[in-house]
Amino acid sequence: MADPTTEPLVSFRSVHKAFGTYVAVKSLDLDIHRGEFIAFMGPSGCGKTTTLRMLAGLEAPTSGTITIGGKVMNDVPPHQRDTPLVWQSLALFPFLSVVENVEFGLRMRGVAPKERRDRAMLWLERMQLKGFETRRIDQLSGGQRQRVALARSLVTEPEMLLLDEPLSALDAHLVIRMQGVLTRLQKELGITFVYVTHSQSEAFAMADRVVIMGNGEIAQVGRPQEIFRGPKSRFVAEFVGRNNILGGTVKAGMLETAQGVVPVPAVRDGKAEIVVAADRVTVSGARPEGAAIRASFLSEEFAGTGIICYFETADGAEWKAQVTESQLATLQPESGQEFWLSWNANSAHVMGG
Amino acid sequence: MKPLSGLGWIYLLALFTFVFAPIVASVIFSFNSDRFPTLPLGSFTTDWYVRAFGRAEVWTAIGNSLIVAAVTSFLATFIGFATAYTDFRYGFKFKQAYLALALLPPTLPLVIMGLAMLAWLSQVGLSGTLTGIVIAHVVLATPFAMAICRLRLSQMDPSLEAAAWNLGAGQWAAMRYVILPFCGPAIVSALCLTAAVSFDEFIVAWFVSGLNRTVPVMILEILQGNVDPQINAIGTVVFLTSMSLVIAAQVLIFRRRRDG
Repeated sequence: MADPTTEPLVSFRSVHKAFGTYVAVKSLDLDIHRGEFIAFMGPSGCGKTTTLRMLAGLEAPTSGTITIGGKVMNDVPPHQRDTPLVWQSLALFPFLSVVENVEFGLRMRGVAPKERRDRAMLWLERMQLKGFETRRIDQLSGGQRQRVALARSLVTEPEMLLLDEPLSALDAHLVIRMQGVLTRLQKELGITFVYVTHSQSEAFAMADRVVIMGNGEIAQVGRPQEIFRGPKSRFVAEFVGRNNILGGTVKAGMLETAQGVVPVPAVRDGKAEIVVAADRVTVSGARPEGAAIRASFLSEEFAGTGIICYFETADGAEWKAQVTESQLATLQPESGQEFWLSWNANSAHVMGG
Repeated sequence: MKPLSGLGWIYLLALFTFVFAPIVASVIFSFNSDRFPTLPLGSFTTDWYVRAFGRAEVWTAIGNSLIVAAVTSFLATFIGFATAYTDFRYGFKFKQAYLALALLPPTLPLVIMGLAMLAWLSQVGLSGTLTGIVIAHVVLATPFAMAICRLRLSQMDPSLEAAAWNLGAGQWAAMRYVILPFCGPAIVSALCLTAAVSFDEFIVAWFVSGLNRTVPVMILEILQGNVDPQINAIGTVVFLTSMSLVIAAQVLIFRRRRDG
């Protein structure tokens, strides 16, 4: 028998899901490990929510197998699984009080009234909702509802928690706070969190591993840093982070592009695309040494951590560069003004390399 | 919503006066000692009530009406809820046709409906029985129950039922612990409204009732004999019963909006 500690908790093997003629998920192969925080990220319609719903048993795969804890789960109905889901809408029961919502899962499993009330109260306490147990759901704030939904899902002590864009309805400052609550909870409980989101900041801030999906397929799987700095394809590069993509032909360590010739990290000769992250681009008026291209200024956008300046190259490609406020004050760019955008040749990432 | 203008208020007042004046008149004359409804009024009396409710056939008719209304409301609400839930839960071919058929009966002229019911019920040997009236009233009242339940289900977060499954509830448990509690006010409201529809309904009942008369049928038969203020007394009681049911239904609908 396989060692239960190293054996993955969930395995997708060639999982395919079609709704009529629409293919939502194609040939998905993935292992989810015990105790990991994994985030599925991608634009809407990429298949991430369908994947999550298949884990919860709300959809059955058209072909392929899904195993949870070594058992094939394809046709196990949702109520016979232990895969609680935190819904995007939270789906709290409006006709039940807070504590009745939390104990619902225990009640359905036939836990005696006294015990289930006690266990629900413990979770309310843990979620700092003590004193709210008799409230109705519509008497709670957004953040409190979120914590009730978490308590309701976790009260049965599952091995895995599924989360479907649970923070999308919250205010920005609450999102940051709930991210902290979620990561701390996941570490404390040591259980698997499967998190679906379209928000890059949520996925990268919380997850141990991120799965980028597009058109029903996995585009890339990896640690947040790996994906952020080393996107494997144009799709990933454009979806995560603020990346600039430069394509051309490599000859003897130099990339020949429409924008001129720039040095690149060691790579075989032939066609290649490099990715330069916006925060690694330096904007200057005079031509600097090394890798640089010329582009005209379009506009700037304040982005919290810095200012993103948008440029356009001679052949119409958009470039982004992140600058500080003082840099912007020195540059004083005007629309249409030409600049040099430069970067350390070794900080560029070669795609597909 | 825009507040009503002065002219709007006058219009509304005139409308309600027009609708309710005959009923109010009937209530007033039920307490008037004069034999014929003329002004000025005579003296106050409850004599018409005493006389009307002293008649055995009035009590039989009231009993018939109550039995028919009670059974009809349960059956119509059950079928109406089941129809609405089917619509909510499942997508299938010809769903539009299914809904159109389910909502059809109130749009048919009642005379046609009554004749058809009479023909059909006599074929199966139920014409003239309370069972026959119940069947006819269930056909008439079910679409109302369905409409109320459908409205309520449309206010439900579609994830709510799946959330119950996700937390370990099977199909029936989810129905019992989530769908039914959520629809509770709508179901009670449907019970009241379908009971009122049945209690008031005259034309179809007149066709199929035979000797088992309901209250509206009895009123017509008394009226055919002569104009008697006892009719006002019976009418007042019928009006109050129906209005109570309809108001109860409305209150439940409004309360659930606030809960929303």
